[in-house]
This record gives sequence, structure tokens and C-alpha cells, in this order.
Amino acid sequence: MALAAIDGMGRRLFAAPGRFLSVFVLAIAVILIAAPLVKIALVTISPQTIAAWGDVLTSRLSPNLFYKPLGNTLLIGASVAGGCVIIGGFLAWLVMMTDVPFRRTIAVLSTLPFMIPSFAAALAWSVLFRNERVGGQIGFLQGLGMEIPDWLAWGMVPSLIVLITHYYSLTFTVIAAALATVNADLVEAAQMTGASRRRVFFGIILPVTLPAVIAGGSLSFAGGVSNFAVPALLGLPVRMQTLSTRIYGMMEVGQTARGYVIALLLVLISAFFLWLGNRLITGRRSYATITGKGGRAKRFDLGGLRWPLCTLALTISVFATIVPVLVLTASSFAPSASALLSNWTLHYWLGESTPSIAQGLAGIAHNPDILSAIGITIGLGLIVAAAGSAVGLLISYSLVRAKRGFVPTAVSQLCFLPLFIPGIAFGAAYIALYGAPIGPFPALYGTFGLLVLAATAFLLPFAVQTGRAVIQQVSGDLEESARLTGAGFVRRLTAITIPLSARGLTAGALLVFVKIVRDLSLVVLLFTPTMPVLSVVAYRYASEGFAQFANAITVVILLISITVSLIANRLQAKSQPWLQA
Amino acid sequence: MNSQTLRDLSLALAVVALGPVTLPALAADLDSKSPDELLAAAKAEGQVVVYSFTSRIKKVEKAFEEAYPGIDLVGYDISSTEQIARLQAEHQAGVTNADVVYISDAPVVFDKLLGAGIIGPYVPPRVADRVPAAFKQPLLAQRLSTKVLMYNEEANPNGPPVSNLWELTTERWKGRVVMVDPLQRGDYLDLMTEIVLQSGAMAAAYEAQFGKPIALSSGIANAGEQFISDLFANDVILVGSTDDVNAAVGKLGQSNPPVGFTSYSDRRDNAEEGWALQLANTVEPAPGIVFPAVLGIAEGAQNPAAARLVIDFLMGDDSATGGAGFKPFYVPGDYATRTDIAPHPDAVPLPEFKAWRVNPQKTAEIRAEIADLVLTLQ
Repeated sequence: MALAAIDGMGRRLFAAPGRFLSVFVLAIAVILIAAPLVKIALVTISPQTIAAWGDVLTSRLSPNLFYKPLGNTLLIGASVAGGCVIIGGFLAWLVMMTDVPFRRTIAVLSTLPFMIPSFAAALAWSVLFRNERVGGQIGFLQGLGMEIPDWLAWGMVPSLIVLITHYYSLTFTVIAAALATVNADLVEAAQMTGASRRRVFFGIILPVTLPAVIAGGSLSFAGGVSNFAVPALLGLPVRMQTLSTRIYGMMEVGQTARGYVIALLLVLISAFFLWLGNRLITGRRSYATITGKGGRAKRFDLGGLRWPLCTLALTISVFATIVPVLVLTASSFAPSASALLSNWTLHYWLGESTPSIAQGLAGIAHNPDILSAIGITIGLGLIVAAAGSAVGLLISYSLVRAKRGFVPTAVSQLCFLPLFIPGIAFGAAYIALYGAPIGPFPALYGTFGLLVLAATAFLLPFAVQTGRAVIQQVSGDLEESARLTGAGFVRRLTAITIPLSARGLTAGALLVFVKIVRDLSLVVLLFTPTMPVLSVVAYRYASEGFAQFANAITVVILLISITVSLIANRLQAKSQPWLQA
Repeated sequence: MNSQTLRDLSLALAVVALGPVTLPALAADLDSKSPDELLAAAKAEGQVVVYSFTSRIKKVEKAFEEAYPGIDLVGYDISSTEQIARLQAEHQAGVTNADVVYISDAPVVFDKLLGAGIIGPYVPPRVADRVPAAFKQPLLAQRLSTKVLMYNEEANPNGPPVSNLWELTTERWKGRVVMVDPLQRGDYLDLMTEIVLQSGAMAAAYEAQFGKPIALSSGIANAGEQFISDLFANDVILVGSTDDVNAAVGKLGQSNPPVGFTSYSDRRDNAEEGWALQLANTVEPAPGIVFPAVLGIAEGAQNPAAARLVIDFLMGDDSATGGAGFKPFYVPGDYATRTDIAPHPDAVPLPEFKAWRVNPQKTAEIRAEIADLVLTLQ
């Protein structure tokens, strides 16, 4: 029975067209994604380390090691999802469905926060709100003489605010895209038969967009659950731990087995909630296409609320995007965050080492650690963008052309798996597998190669997504005719698919570049002093009390990240029809 | 890439020039060489990588490159805890990034690094006869460092505001004792461990403070653990680095500053940073711990000659204060292990310094247990 099944599978496997390609991409997916995860699981059940499961789950340490961090993590996930759906949904409704002024500006501003790394927003928060509880410099507001209570300076409340302002642009994008597909005929039909605005909203718009709301909510839930930087910078000083910060803490003090166990549990938890979100959407699918798409719906007349709502939307956007950037920039010039606008100096940017400032740390232009980190980070971004796009294109090509069968299904599932895996857990898995030599292959610990591999694998879902989108745009007929005239695979790819999809591919590659340049959670465990990357250098300076240096580096990351994102957006503009309205 | 190839090439040339010796023999040979004899090989290596648990490595870097132009000292400031995790991972990976390891956390270092063959000892022959035997075994100790209770002397001109460690567990000091998270920094875990090892003294101090014998809570085995548990229950503030402790405790102009456990030697930065840190040496039963800062050479170091030259340099020259190499450490609160370096005039002399001397072996035995205890308290 089993044999017959395998035999059947095997025959399909080898009979499929381009089977060499499918097996090749399967091998890539296994090496990049499946192997590290299997390895981390195997490590935790080896005889020396199996006790770690007990320590984490059922010992006197468990409450602090696992259950309290788990509680914080879930609270963060749920609150971030709720907050993001409310804010992102509100902005999307405003931009897509109403006659609010400055729609285009609001739309653009609403997509920006996601370009700002979450640790930048967290650093900006502490520049403003830091109080004297944990020593070091006090923040700007305390410097003005305001009394900042602990709950506003540290812990859960600021973490939630920062995370929501970071992830709401994600829900905005998803919900806005769904609202763009609301069928105007339905709305008009309802209006003609005398349905109230409220009725139209709850009877038509909400059901149609519900899948998007759930998708946006579960994406921001996953984002909140796996985020490392924000709870690490704002929570750790008051001993607020999440699963991510616990994994980092355990790995940093050499208790790797406990770290791996928590990492596995974190993967399972985020996977469960994303799966749940998917289930809910699948159940609702019948709403997605009721009839063909009609004309654009008439916009709701907000009446007297036009300007107040516009002001509200702009205020939210300004505080989520422009304020953090300005605050970080100012604080990279100010010797003291409590007097943010006085005594500006270029020392943190251009200064030579002086013993009296920050233990003799030199400014960015003269600091070899930072300079090499800039080079390594940009190099990493470029290589991962190129490698990711190439692998993504190859995989999606094989998926689109092969369509069904065991191998394509396995490849497709594997490639989207990293979406379910928090960066820090992924980093832990990579250390577990590639930290030691494998057969004839040397260990990759501390090498540039490890960073490239891990980052490429981590961003594969995005690369494959881009690849799929662009390949589906290229008509199969072109391929077919080329094949009939005798063009080989490589020639078809380079002469037809790539030239026709160059713009989409470039945009996708740029997004991968940005994602890796501003990533902290994946690289924070892979970091070694000899192979520094900017985000980790900034994080370490921040936690050692060298706030200005951390902020200056973050401004550099921001500049790179925002510039490249804007270029990518421009290239992709056509795929975001709601921006044209 | 290019300079790496060049370096490898020149190293190969140097090895060839030194004649047909096997590598272990070369290392043993290097151990007995004087700095002058090391210099040529060190220059051929051209670079040396130092993992250092103190940010003062940046000052050493500058001084070393002035003393030995042509040898690039690359110094990384990495906490001891992290160094241990990194060195173990690098060793497992078969990578050797570091040449010199300058580290505290002796209990773990002796066991997990020296014991596992990840680092090896080196005592420069030039100073060997001026360092007591206890500081040459099993690794060379460059100096003694501290984690002790410090207070703000501007706000407390009449001396320490605390006379007994147990006061820190009372209402008056709730939320006003600062230290680094012992799970993040090994020397703070060593401090916690020593408090447990000194449970007898802690029990006596309890009675002196509260006038009754100590009663242990359930699940608590001794007076030391009780103190740690009470300290955490009294909202001890945990921060990320000693500089955060220093700023919180020492910053000038505070009316009611906290106290905190930090390095006595950080008093050196009082003038530069605007602090008023001072040692609470009279606190009962002891203000904290004194522990060695040790030096070792990474097994398979890529720049073995330059590594030895750096260690020789860090041990100081023949002047009374140790010269340029020791200058960053010739500060009140750091105690040279070399018998011929004069004690710093502004510090409490070592014999009068009341802090406990850490016993690396005993500490290593219960350290993991104490780490778990701290974990349950957070």
C-alpha cells in the first residue's frame, strides 16, 4: 500500500516536465529552510539537552522562563492585531471610500511606517519618554520638566504603541487593496433601494473586506509576536520579557538548549495563529468575487467630519513617520537627549576619538567598526537581493509551469514557511545547523556566507511572491512559441521572462534589500564582532548607553531604507491601483 | 580580501624564514622569547585581534600602535559572558577569530575555555618573576577588578548612606538599588554567588541589622539566597551595563540618588562624566567582590607572536606605574597583580579593602544554580 503510494508518487515525480528543475528547487528549499528547522528540533531531543524541555515547561523556572514571557507575547500579538486593524482599517476606509481631503497624501503616509525599522521607532520613543528609572540619560520630555511615569517610559504600553505604529501600515495596505475591489454595483443597488450608510457598511463593505481584515490582523499579530527590537529596548530595562527576548538572553549566556526549546515553541505559536487566520479567510472565500467588478463606488460624503477626520489621519501618520525620523536625527546631534535642541555637535557623525565622550568612541566617519558594518550591511543587502530574486524566480518559474504534483506542493509549502517563523528563531536554527562543520563542509559560524544564506532563506517567501507575480504576467503563449522554435530553458528565461518582468523583479529585489538592511531580529544572533551589521551595532550601542551613536547609525539605516523603498514603490506603482485614485 | 592574502603570504614567509619547525614547537618557542625577539615575527603578522571585556581596550589599542607601529591591534569590546558564548561557538565551528582573550568571569573561563582547550596560558618571561604564583596559575591575572557597592558622595558627604547590605532589602531602598542583570553579566552572577558562599557572614550581618536571627523563606536554602530573594522583592533595578549603574548612582546634582553595585575603578571617570561615585567600603559584611581579570591566547591563534607581544604590553613596562600599556588600568580601584607597580594613591589600599576575594573553583560549583535562582526571581 505504502509502497504503491510511493511508487505512484515517484512516477509522477519523474514524469513531470522539467523534473530536473523541480528536484533542484526542492533541494534548495530543503537546504535553506527544512534542514535548519529539523536540526534545531533534533538538537533539543538529544540525551544531553532533553532536560531543557522540562526546565522550560514544568520546572520552578518555567513561569519566568516561558509562561510569563508567553503571556506578554500573546498580549502583544492580540493588542497589536487589534490596534492595527482599527487604525489601518480606519485609514484605508478614509482613503478608499470617503471624500476626505488629501487622500493621496494620507495614502502615501500610511504606507511609510513599515519602512521605518521598528527599533528606530523604539529608540525615538526612548529619546522622548525615557525617565530616570534605569539611569543614564533622561529623555526630552523629562528634560522639559515633565514627570514621565514608569508605565509610559518602559514596558508594555510603549511597546504596544511603537509596535502598532509600525505594523498598521501592513493592515492598511491589505485592507485598502480589498476595498479597491468592492463592487460599486452592489453599493449603488443598496443605496437606490434606500439602505442607510450604516447598512451599506455593515451589510456590504464589511463582509467583502472581512478576509482582508483577518489577513491584516493575523499578519500584524505575527509581526508583534516575533518582534525582538521593541520589547528588548523598551521592555528589558523593566524586566518585561517576551519569548523573543528570552531566546536572545538564553543564547547570549550560552544556555543554547533552553533557547532552542523556546524558539521551537515560538515557531509553533506563530504558525498556529497564522494558520487560524488562514482558516477563517478560507471559510469566507465566497464573498471575494460575487460578480464581475463594476465601476468605482461613489465616495461617502463625510460632510462636516471631512476636515476633523483628515486632521486625525494626518496626525496619526505624522506621529508614526515624520516625528520618529526628526527625533532620531536631532538626537544624533545632541549631546543630551534631555536638551534635544541645544549644544548640537557633529561629534557623533564626524568626530575623532576623544577620551571624554562615550569612552573614546569615534564618530561614524572615523569609527572603523561602524564603517565596516556599513560596507557589510550594504553588501549583504545587495547579494541577498540578487540571490533571493534569482532563487525566487527559479522557484516560482518551476511552480507556475509545473502547477501540480508532490514536488511543487512541497516546494511551495516550504518556501512560505519562513513567514511563520520569527526571525530570532530562524537565526537560532541557522546557528544550530551551520554553526558546526557538516561533513566536508566547514562551519559557517561568523562568516558572511552564513548571513547571506540565512537572510536569503528568511526572505524567500517575498522573493517567490514577486517571482510568481511577474511570471504570471508574462503570457505562457510567448514561452510556448519560443519552446516550439527550439529555445532552451535558460534562453527562454533570459530572452523573454526576465526582460518582460524586469521592472517587477527590480522592485521585488529592492524590497528584499530594504528588509534585510533594517532587519534586527534575524541577524542579532548571527552577529559576530568580526562580521558586524548596522542594525546590531546600533542595538548594542543603544543597550550600552551610547544613545547618540545608536541613533546616528539608525538615521543611516533610515536613509538607505526609505530611499530604496520609495524607488521600489515607484516601480511598483501600477500594482497599487488605490494610489492612483 | 587583498590585505588578508598579503597577510597570509607574509605569515607564510615568516614561517619559512624561521626554519623548518612544527607549529606546536613554534608556540612553545615563542613563550620563552623576549618582546624584542617577538617583534620581527609580530610585524610579519601585521595584525592582532583582542577580545576584551572592558571598553578600555580602545585606549590600549592607541598606545600599542604607537609603541609598535606596523602592528594593527583590532580590539573588540565584548562582555565576558558573551565572549565565552562566542569563543565556544567559534571553537565548535573551527574558526579562530581572536588572538588574545582578555576576560573576567574566571570561574567559567578556567572550566569552559581553558579546560576545553579553547584558550591557553601565557606568562611573559619579562615580568614572570614579579607576579605572585597565585596570579600566574592557571591563567595570568593582569589586575584585580571589583564589583562593589558604590554611592553618591556629593549627596552623602558624611560617608556611605548604607552600613549593612541588609538595609538594601528595607523599604528605604525600595527601587533604589541598581545593578546589571546577573544573567547578562557574569561578574554580577559571581557577586550573587559569592553572597551565597558567604552565607555565614550574611546571617551574622542580618542579626546585626535586625536584632534577630534570620528566618529562611520556603524554598530558600541559606542566608545568601534569602538576601538575593529579598533584594529582588525590593524592586532592585536591573540595567544593561555598568555605565548605566554609574550614571544612575553617580550623576551630580541628585537630591536622593540610588546606590548600586559597579566597578570601584569607574570612579576614575568621575571628573570626565560628571559623577560623584564613591566606594561604600564600611558596609557589613563586605561591599562586594574582588576578582581577577585574566589573559589568555586563543588556541590556534593566527597571530601568535603579536598576541604574546600584546599580553607583554598589557602587563606594563618597568616604570613604577607600568607605563603606557598599563596606563588605562593604573586607576584607583584597579589593583595590579605585579608586585613592583606602586598602589594607586587615591584608592583604598588592597589590604584595607573589605571586599570578598572570589574563589573561582567554589564559585564554578554553584554558579549555574544561582543563575537559575535569579531567573526565578525576575
